[in-house]
This record gives sequence, structure tokens and C-alpha cells, in this order.
Amino acid sequence: MADEAPFQFLHSEVIQYVFGASDSGDAETGRNITKVESMGFRVGQGLIERLTKETSRFKDELDVMKFICKDFWTCLFKKQIDNLRTNHQGIYVLQDSKFQLLSHLSAGKQYLDQAPKYLAFTCGLVRGALSNLGVKSIVTAEVSIMPACKFQVMIQKI
Amino acid sequence: WGREQGRGSQGRQMERNSELFTLTYGALVTQLCKDYENDEEVNKQLDKMGYNIGVRLIEDFLARSSIGRCQDFRETADVIAKVAFKMYLGVTPSVTNWSPAGDEFSLILENNPLVDFVELPDNHNTLVYSNLLCGVLRGALEMVQMAVDVKFVQDTLRGDNVTEIRMKFIKRIEENLPAGDE
Amino acid sequence: WRVGIAVIAKENYPLYIRSVASQSELKFHYTVHTSLDVVEEKISAVGKSLGDQRELYLGLLYPTEDYKVYGYVTNSKVKFVIVVDSSNTSLRDNEIRSMFRKLHNSFTDVMCNPFHNPGDPIQSKAFDGIVSGMMVQTG
Repeated sequence: MADEAPFQFLHSEVIQYVFGASDSGDAETGRNITKVESMGFRVGQGLIERLTKETSRFKDELDVMKFICKDFWTCLFKKQIDNLRTNHQGIYVLQDSKFQLLSHLSAGKQYLDQAPKYLAFTCGLVRGALSNLGVKSIVTAEVSIMPACKFQVMIQKI
Repeated sequence: WGREQGRGSQGRQMERNSELFTLTYGALVTQLCKDYENDEEVNKQLDKMGYNIGVRLIEDFLARSSIGRCQDFRETADVIAKVAFKMYLGVTPSVTNWSPAGDEFSLILENNPLVDFVELPDNHNTLVYSNLLCGVLRGALEMVQMAVDVKFVQDTLRGDNVTEIRMKFIKRIEENLPAGDE
Repeated sequence: WRVGIAVIAKENYPLYIRSVASQSELKFHYTVHTSLDVVEEKISAVGKSLGDQRELYLGLLYPTEDYKVYGYVTNSKVKFVIVVDSSNTSLRDNEIRSMFRKLHNSFTDVMCNPFHNPGDPIQSKAFDGIVSGMMVQTG
């Protein structure tokens, strides 16, 4: 069964719908990124609720992050995060060396500008999942070499 | 990684990946409900987005299934139900209610994965929640030179026992003409 | 009341409250509210004691002469509280457990309903149905 295809097609179409065909200004782009991110946020909230239904309670923040890297990522993309680093002061860097939602973009430099559009939803997924587990954060993503991608999670201390 | 619990079997992973799709679709529908004033506009937009997906999906489908050109509408109906739905949504609708002329049939879904968890609020009584599917079918078939009309006639979200998608063959599109204008 | 069920948000406000009242509704609210302190205590004890199972089911929170209060907490820090009459001795621990599990499953579906805003009171026919079933079963 081509079970990852429906999501990929839908995700592309959502990007297409929100960003439109034309190149808009920076302010507009920012608003659109926020829109896609917040859709991801809501999906992340729901998914993590299902995913943690059978698991025992988390010990601490690191325990939660490991779950995101392993179980949550596998649920989303059928693979785990390849590398998790932390400065032990609330910053975590999650690296996916072959990020599924970028793999269809070509490696050319001109496509690098397009990458943020394709990362916003996933940033939202992670932020939504963490938020629902009681961890407030800011999640950003960057691409250096396609299709490798780093997600940075900054925990917001209350 | 120290955590032992929560590792799904293969089957459960499959189900989970479809949950990502189902929930993302839900987020899209609710976003459209915010973006547009009324349900009719949302239905239209869902159909349009489905169409865009359909015209791209068909290539993926033909590549994966290695199915050749269908001889007639009946064969097309079987391929849609038994191969396409199964492949992408993991369900196999039944093909029934053929019109005497053989140009219309229904796809009956006992279980529509798009609406798992969905409870429609009262203020959306004309929303066709799964309307994306109509667009997908229309778009995909257009790329194989078939113009069809697709609509929901029953919906479990509305309290019907099953979900029924009605498909009507309109015409064969000449290959040398540009298909569609959307 | 003979039985009452409450769902409490992470921030400790009620998302859902229902009781079969034989006494005042207010007293039920009060009981639930009091139980939250015990829940917090149990949650924050995580990791402090050896051999801690970190189960979602928190067990009997406290008994009084009139009723028993049971608690359960999801990983999203939403709390479920079930209050039953002390005279109801037919309910066993594993039955309470399975009631919580049913509530949790149904709550998860509510969280996945795209029209539900997480943090809003639960308005769901499916969830109502599950709760009603429990009221009949235990009442």
C-alpha cells in the first residue's frame, strides 16, 4: 500500500493553496508560514494524544524529546531522527538526514529558497506535539544540503 | 534510546501513517471553513484541490499499479474501487447501482478513513466534508481522457449508514485537445 | 450522587463534568476539586521513588466514609476523576481501570476531531455516549 503518498500529495496541495502561485512579499510569506505551521500544530496535538495513549508517563523533558525523535517521527515519516543533540539548557537539535518532505525537491540552490514552505507544517507538528505534552517551545528548521534538515527546538521556560 | 513502550507493530504503524493523513485533511477542512464564508465555497475549494491532486496522482497510480488503459467504464469502476482506493486509502468500496445505460455507478464505502474522529458541528450542515475525493476522481480520470461527474449522495457524517459516491460518465476527451481549463 | 465523572484540563479547569446526582452538584464539584491536589502530588512524585511504574492510572486517590475518588492522568496532563459511592462495593479496581481506559480512548478521539478546539469544554455525542454507558453500568 502506498500509504505515505496521500499525505505527501495533500501536504503539497496545502502548500500550494496557502502560498498560491505568485511570489508575494515577505510579510505575506511570513503570514502564510504561520498559517501552515498552525495547521501542523493542531495535527501534532491530536497525533501525540493518540501516540501516548498506551505509554507510561514521561520522566522528564529529555524523555519527551526522545519520544518525539523515535516514536513520533516514525509515526510521521517511518524513520527515526538520525541525530539528537542538546546543550542541556533547553535547546535541542533534531537532524533528519533524508527528510521526506524535501526529497522531491531537486538539490539545486534555487530550490533552497523554497524549502521553508515545506518545513513549516512539520515545525508545527513538533511544536503541537510538545505543547500537548506540556512542553512549550519554538521550533524552527533549516536546510543546508538537501534533503538533510535540522529542526531546532527551543524550550520556553514558564 | 531507552524507551520500550509505544512501539507499534507494522500494522499499527500503517494505521498511524494514515492518521497523519486523516488529521491533516481535518486541519485543511477547518482552515477552509475559516477562510471562506460558507460551506458551498468550502465544498468548491475542496473539489478544486482534489482535482489538482488527482491530475498528479494518476501518474503515481499508473506507475505503481502498472495498469493499462481500461476498456470501458465498468473496468474503470473496478480499478478505482479495488486498486486505487485500496492502494491509497486502505479500503475497498463496493461498486453498485449501475444505471441501465452503464454510464453511472456508485462507490459504497462502509468506512471512510477521512472522517474517523470527525463530528460535524451544527453550523456546517451543508458542508460536504470529504468533497476532496470527488475532485481527485474527476482530476485523475480527466488525465486518462474521461470526463466524469462525481458527487456524494450519502454520508455517514450526516447519519447515513454508508458513504456513497455517485459517478457519472460524461464523455471521452479527445487526446489532442488540452484537458480541462482549471 | 452515586457516581460522577470529571475531565479536568492541564490548567485545572473542568472540561467535562457529569454526575448522577443524589446529593448536590456543588458538592461533587468540590470533591473533584479537592482530589486535584492529590493528583498533583502523585504526578510530581514521579522519579522520586524507586520502582515507580509511572502508570497513567493513579488508583484510589482518597476514600471518605461516603465515597471513593479514583484518578487517572494522560500524558497531555489531562486528568480524569471518577467518584463512586462507598456503598458501591461491587466495583473492582480493574473495572475502574477499564472505565478510565474507555474515557481516555474516547477523549483521544475528541482531540482528533478537527472541529474540536483543544482546551475547550468537551462537546461530543460519542463522548456523552460513553459516559452515559458508565452511568448506567455503575449507577
